[in-house]
Amino acid sequence: MSLSGLGKTIFTQEQIQQRIVEMGQEINRDYQGKDLVIVGVLKGSLYFVADLTRQLTIPINIDFLSIGVRTGQTNKTGVVSFKKDLDISITDRHVLLVEDVIGTGLTLGYICQHLESAKPASLKICTLLDNPAERLLNINIAYRCFIMPDLYVVGYGLDHEGRYRNLPYIAEYHRGTQKV
Amino acid sequence: MLFITISRQTGSRGKEIAGLLAGKMELPIINRDLVMKEWFPEVAGKHELHMLTESSGFYLSRTPQGITFAEYLENKLRGFINNQPAIIYGLGAQIIFADHPAALHVKIIASPEVRTNRIMQAHNLEKKDAQRFLEITDRKHKRYISTIYGKDWSDPLLYHLTLNTDFLSNEEAASLIYSLAQNRQIGSEPSAELPEPAGKKTVVFKHPSEEEFAKILDMNELDWEYEPRTFPIKWDAEGNITLAFSPDFYLPRFDTYIELTTMNQKYVSEKKKKVELLKKLYPGTNINIVFKNDFQTLAKRFGLRGGTDNK
Repeated sequence: MSLSGLGKTIFTQEQIQQRIVEMGQEINRDYQGKDLVIVGVLKGSLYFVADLTRQLTIPINIDFLSIGVRTGQTNKTGVVSFKKDLDISITDRHVLLVEDVIGTGLTLGYICQHLESAKPASLKICTLLDNPAERLLNINIAYRCFIMPDLYVVGYGLDHEGRYRNLPYIAEYHRGTQKV
Repeated sequence: MLFITISRQTGSRGKEIAGLLAGKMELPIINRDLVMKEWFPEVAGKHELHMLTESSGFYLSRTPQGITFAEYLENKLRGFINNQPAIIYGLGAQIIFADHPAALHVKIIASPEVRTNRIMQAHNLEKKDAQRFLEITDRKHKRYISTIYGKDWSDPLLYHLTLNTDFLSNEEAASLIYSLAQNRQIGSEPSAELPEPAGKKTVVFKHPSEEEFAKILDMNELDWEYEPRTFPIKWDAEGNITLAFSPDFYLPRFDTYIELTTMNQKYVSEKKKKVELLKKLYPGTNINIVFKNDFQTLAKRFGLRGGTDNK
């Protein structure tokens, strides 16, 4: 893989794994004795969900959602929609939504409204990176690994045009750099 | 058809104004004299009539029909108004018909000094006696409304219009009420506060970028309201509002206000200050600003124009 455009490492593999261990302990404690469903948002949360859930010692179910912005039929305006919905029922169950990055919260708001319509017992949010400075909606984030740096970053699930997700660390990316 | 209730302070010339207005509008006046002479004798003997004159508490006593005198009066007033419009003078009509769509509630007031002078002249009283006279009648007015209806007679929110006859002649006051009544008859009534019809109302945005941001919210299926609230943020020494701020959007599901600033940097600073002031004055209010670059990023992401004009 060409690593052209990659800048300095922001969060190393060790830092990420260490933080996930800590967060896993918190979640184990908070959801002790509860019926928990982990809902990952594809594709960015893929590695995060995989590593986080392996730190959980409580029984869980895992499911995924995928949303996207598609162009409307009659005009060029985008429409947010689910490309993949949940396969399992979350009604009366405790749901932990796992995101890769939370910025404005608009899309997160869309997802939360959708999940809440299924009447889960509770709904909490967990994110790898959080950018509260960008936030527009008042949404409580229960678990966050790191505060998002004021940089464009890739790796550990985060991509640039679909690439670099599989880096085991998070690095700065210079979008102006010519790709090879 | 529209009818008018007139509440007045003693010495405010409310009675004279009601008389003039009745002439202009060719409407009968229902007042306490009429009620005591023509309505209450149907259910009250001499003793009861005396008590009704003297004691507001007696209005809560029961008539032979099993309802209170207050309820009897209310039924009579409602029956009368169902058949024809009128000017109702006093009698707590502003409370009885508080939500009636055809009612226009008017209060006539004057300053204590002016009222005292008028009472001194009308009744040939010394100043201190006139003041005492006003003190007692004001207390009786207040007690009648509070005893029977549990309301504060002086609450300005009970009235559509309050006129101060320190500065208005009787004719001017009557003409003002008459004009208002005419306008309300012609226009749809009531002029405001009608519930919105079901479905999304049409919103007129002040700036194209606001309309585009509304589209972004719609795309995310986030319910929003446009400029639903104005927050006063500065006042002068007399308590008059000198600066207010109306955030562009409110998202009820997330209890969040959003303000767009897609304009020049120098104005952005002003807006930031307003938001900070609002947060300080109204703690717990969630308000966020969308800056120009953020807005353009969002607009691009959702395939919109991006509002290049300044706001």
